[in-house]
Amino acid sequence: MGRLFQLLLRNGGFVTWIFVELFCFVAIVQYNNTQGAVWANTTEIFGGRILEKRQNISDYFSLSERIDSLNHVMDSLQSRLANARVMQVSVRDTHFLVTYDSLSLSDSIRHKTIRPEYEFITAKVIGNSITSANNWLIINRGSNDLVAPHMAVVSANGIVGIIRHVSPNFSIAMSALHRQTKITAALQKQKTFGSLVWEGGDPQVMTLKDISKHFEDVIKPGDPVVTSGYSVMFPKDIPVGKVLSKATPDPENPHFLVVKVQLSQDMSDLNDVSIVRNLYSVEIDSLKAKVKQ
Amino acid sequence: MNSSTLPIIWRFLGLLAVQGLLLKQMGMAVDLTYFNVLLYPLFILLLPLQMPAPYVVLLGALIGGAVDVFYASPGVHASAGAFSGFVRGVVIGMFSPKGGFSSKELIFSPAHVSWPTYLRGAAIFFFLHLFWYFSVDAFTFVYFGSIIGRTAASWGLTMIFVVLYGAMFNPKN
Repeated sequence: MGRLFQLLLRNGGFVTWIFVELFCFVAIVQYNNTQGAVWANTTEIFGGRILEKRQNISDYFSLSERIDSLNHVMDSLQSRLANARVMQVSVRDTHFLVTYDSLSLSDSIRHKTIRPEYEFITAKVIGNSITSANNWLIINRGSNDLVAPHMAVVSANGIVGIIRHVSPNFSIAMSALHRQTKITAALQKQKTFGSLVWEGGDPQVMTLKDISKHFEDVIKPGDPVVTSGYSVMFPKDIPVGKVLSKATPDPENPHFLVVKVQLSQDMSDLNDVSIVRNLYSVEIDSLKAKVKQ
Repeated sequence: MNSSTLPIIWRFLGLLAVQGLLLKQMGMAVDLTYFNVLLYPLFILLLPLQMPAPYVVLLGALIGGAVDVFYASPGVHASAGAFSGFVRGVVIGMFSPKGGFSSKELIFSPAHVSWPTYLRGAAIFFFLHLFWYFSVDAFTFVYFGSIIGRTAASWGLTMIFVVLYGAMFNPKN
């Protein structure tokens, strides 16, 4: 003890100073208004920063939950958007040539026109291929989630594929990169439509066929391509991609054009998707069957 | 109480009275922002050269704390006093002869070290003390320019009093 005291006496100037300064610091902050205010302000700023950093870390670990939550919100919005587009058709059916946005009809007519047609089911892609001639996706939703064959699969960026086989908890979708895939897509600016197919090769490029010849000069690279809304599966105006190069005559049918389309969805980077359920698909299919008969 | 302790006590009381009753009133009569003479650190500088550093730090904090009573600034002068007690050893070490001060040189005053050494040592010592004091007073380096300005102004004025004190008393122990 005596030696320790001697040691402190010899080298303890610094230690003593630190202790005294700590004591003074407390006294200064506690009993001086100006310094106390400065200290409170400083701790508030740094405390805020620390809390923000802690929140960021916490947010990082809860990202998965938040993505799921956002996917649900996105599905809800997508479904509302898709249904809003359908309402325009319904309005036209009543012989009033007005758009939904400028609808000035009585509430009773408006009410009749509001007829939800699509539901979006959140899902995750758990299997994917892009290198084969016919590519497939495995999705973690099945018949238990009301998923059925011939439902469209879309992502926030664009079209993805079409459901073909369903088990209770999973489903297999035909990727857009499949030789049998045929989706009705439209050139948004030109307001014309054709059949979108994949001819193999580049997984980022599909071919839009059956475009009328007189559009040859007006189709420009970069023009947006969207779903046409003429199919039961895909709602209207879902992004497909953009025109890659100028339209060329179809070698199989020279009266029509073909357009190369750069897909907006990177098919090699698929994770969160939505399955589109058309609430009237059975009704429409039965009508189609009558036409065939 | 031995003969070496008595001058320390008298110097403590004398400098405290001058600081608290005279210099503080002078400062209040004019603008305290830039006219702030702090003479009491002389007590720390003139403590015996052989005194262990922790004692110097504690005595520095003690006189600073006593000055705080006059200035109603709890802890501010005490912090500066403790800091000066700590750096005193460094400053005096800069002017110590080879092998250190002998037992004949009792304190860092013109009577034991030359006038130029005393003035140079005091100049550095007071500058450090004042800089620390104004930094703690502002409690933020946002006003660094103002801290330097106040330190320089007060240092110039304080050094006049330091010279006067040395000339008038020239303490030997």
